[in-house]
Amino acid sequence: MESRRPPPSPFVENYVVPGDVVLDLSEMTNQTIKLGAGLRQECDTIQATSSGKLRLSKPNKYWVESSQKRYTPSVEDTVLGIVVDTKPDNFLVDIKGPNLAFLPVLAFEGGTRRNIPKFEIGTLIYARVVKANSIMNPELSCMDATGKAAEFGQLKDGYMFDTSTGMSRMLLSSPTCPVLEALGKKLSFEIAVGLNGRVWVNAPAPNTVILVSNAIIRSESLSGIKQRAMVENLLQKLT
Amino acid sequence: MSMDHLRWRPTVNERDFIERVLQSDLRVDGRNSFDFRTLKITLGREDGMSEVQLGETRVMAYVTAQLVQPYRDRPNEGTLAIFTEFSPMADPAFEAGHPGESAIELGQSPDSCFCNLSIQRCVSMEPNVDCLRFSPLRESRAVDMESLCVVAGKQVWSVRVDLHILDNGGNLIDAANIAALAALSTFRRPECTVGGDDGQQVIVHDPEVRDPIPLTIHHMPIAVTFAYFGEGNIVVLDPTYKEEAVMGGRMTATINSNGDVCAIQKAGGEGVMSGVIMQCLRIASVKAADITSKIKKAVDSYTTEKDLKKVKRLPVSVPQKIHVTDVTMENKGDGELETQTQTAKTPSDVQQISKDPAPMVEASSEEDAQPVTDSSNAEAKSTSNPHGANGESDEAQEIGSPKSLKDAIKPKHKRKKKSGRITSYHCLRISAPLPPPQRAFLQDINK
Repeated sequence: MESRRPPPSPFVENYVVPGDVVLDLSEMTNQTIKLGAGLRQECDTIQATSSGKLRLSKPNKYWVESSQKRYTPSVEDTVLGIVVDTKPDNFLVDIKGPNLAFLPVLAFEGGTRRNIPKFEIGTLIYARVVKANSIMNPELSCMDATGKAAEFGQLKDGYMFDTSTGMSRMLLSSPTCPVLEALGKKLSFEIAVGLNGRVWVNAPAPNTVILVSNAIIRSESLSGIKQRAMVENLLQKLT
Repeated sequence: MSMDHLRWRPTVNERDFIERVLQSDLRVDGRNSFDFRTLKITLGREDGMSEVQLGETRVMAYVTAQLVQPYRDRPNEGTLAIFTEFSPMADPAFEAGHPGESAIELGQSPDSCFCNLSIQRCVSMEPNVDCLRFSPLRESRAVDMESLCVVAGKQVWSVRVDLHILDNGGNLIDAANIAALAALSTFRRPECTVGGDDGQQVIVHDPEVRDPIPLTIHHMPIAVTFAYFGEGNIVVLDPTYKEEAVMGGRMTATINSNGDVCAIQKAGGEGVMSGVIMQCLRIASVKAADITSKIKKAVDSYTTEKDLKKVKRLPVSVPQKIHVTDVTMENKGDGELETQTQTAKTPSDVQQISKDPAPMVEASSEEDAQPVTDSSNAEAKSTSNPHGANGESDEAQEIGSPKSLKDAIKPKHKRKKKSGRITSYHCLRISAPLPPPQRAFLQDINK
């Protein structure tokens, strides 16, 4: 029997609203489909439960992408969290979600009971979401899947600001987001983007940091060309 | 702990960075130390409603008034009360119905500027209990209370300002103050007369029958907030949300455009040298003048627009080419009237209209003068238009004449001296209901 790919939903890369029927399962047999955020199975159909853009990742993963100011934790996201409290077993970390997240004190490369890192309240952490569902507090880790540190951990110096989740995704997209490209041509800085709507910027000169952060905040509603033009303007004002 | 995790805390990185750049006179959003953020004042769909946007901070003000019994020790004064609502949509740290400490501070500062009698919410008691707060000092009275008295000892107007915080982007005090001032400037209270058998009955007139009256505002106290960092050495104006989280102390100076200091409020925080305070006051007076002019401009353009709307309400029978006659009346202090009429077809005349209401509005803040087109000279006479466009306006007169006379008969208690009033009747509220006798008269005329 030839394996039939499910016909791609007509809504892929289009905007859907709650209630839209995205896929009809009666046409597909023996197919596995993975549903991400914003989709729900109703008998024979898949319906959207939140509004946004329907995305498809080959071969069979669907989800609805929308941009908000608050974050819904989901597994394998890299986020920027702020340490709020320390407990014997976990750090309590705020990741802009409905609940505080737990970061186990041992979830660091080479972490043992003897070398628990000391994070004071207000420390900025770059971490990965390991467990997330709506009923429990999400769990984070500062290691990647293989157990290496891989840039996770505390971020020192620099400046952090908030954006929407859609903006974070745009900053992380490939090819490089226009605003970052335009800024990178003239300035040198380092940047960490959390999918929960937080961005951290660091550069040797404070001017650069201020410029980069303002440029990113302003570029949210601009198209690619306008972003480049805006960055040009800002750079000219400084020099 | 339930809501605690929602409260935003600054990171160590932000705190260090903000303080470090302030040492070099930079601010995180690129402003200078003594720059306000962009101020946008939107005057609402009705009188007494305003929305102010100061950078990211949004505040909405709404003014209402009702007749109440006055306080026993002040029988011939009205009251002004300011209520602040901290909606959780403004900041996750705000809880619905339960003001925190910052709320009390915010609620107190506009009061100290406006009047010396205020009603506030007290957090130590049940959230629903209001407690009276008498301030022993005679603080600046921006709104005239005695003009709100109707029957001394029995009935006075109680004006209530409701401030709704829509978005907390920092510096709520300044934004709320501007919103309240703008709303009070455009608020109109119904006119009422004392009559009846015993001379004690108060009749409140419907706004359609008699134009409502503006409040008497003597001056505009503008609140200017300064934030202190680094042991009181570094001062900035108009802190943002993040700067407020990181600052060492804050001071609000309330100054009017004359340079009078109405109030200074500094609740705790870092100690500051007196020289720095004096410098802040000097800067604040400059900023206050600037903001006062912005508020006045917004209020003026709103009032003009509203008056123009009144003018345009012509009956359908009037042919399109004369779809509007704009009248502006100026009521100078001595009751002398100047009228200029123009049709919409002459663009040059339209320029004039934009200038005229301005002096009028200033005059209205002095005494309770009627708003512009209200000088709806009820005794409309058919004097002709002094400014050209004669033929057209005559036509307009005739076509509109049944309406014109109808309005002519409408009783207006304020009679202005008439000089060159013309097609003024075109600008009157045609839709106002008429008492029966006049209608009968009107029918006679039509025949």
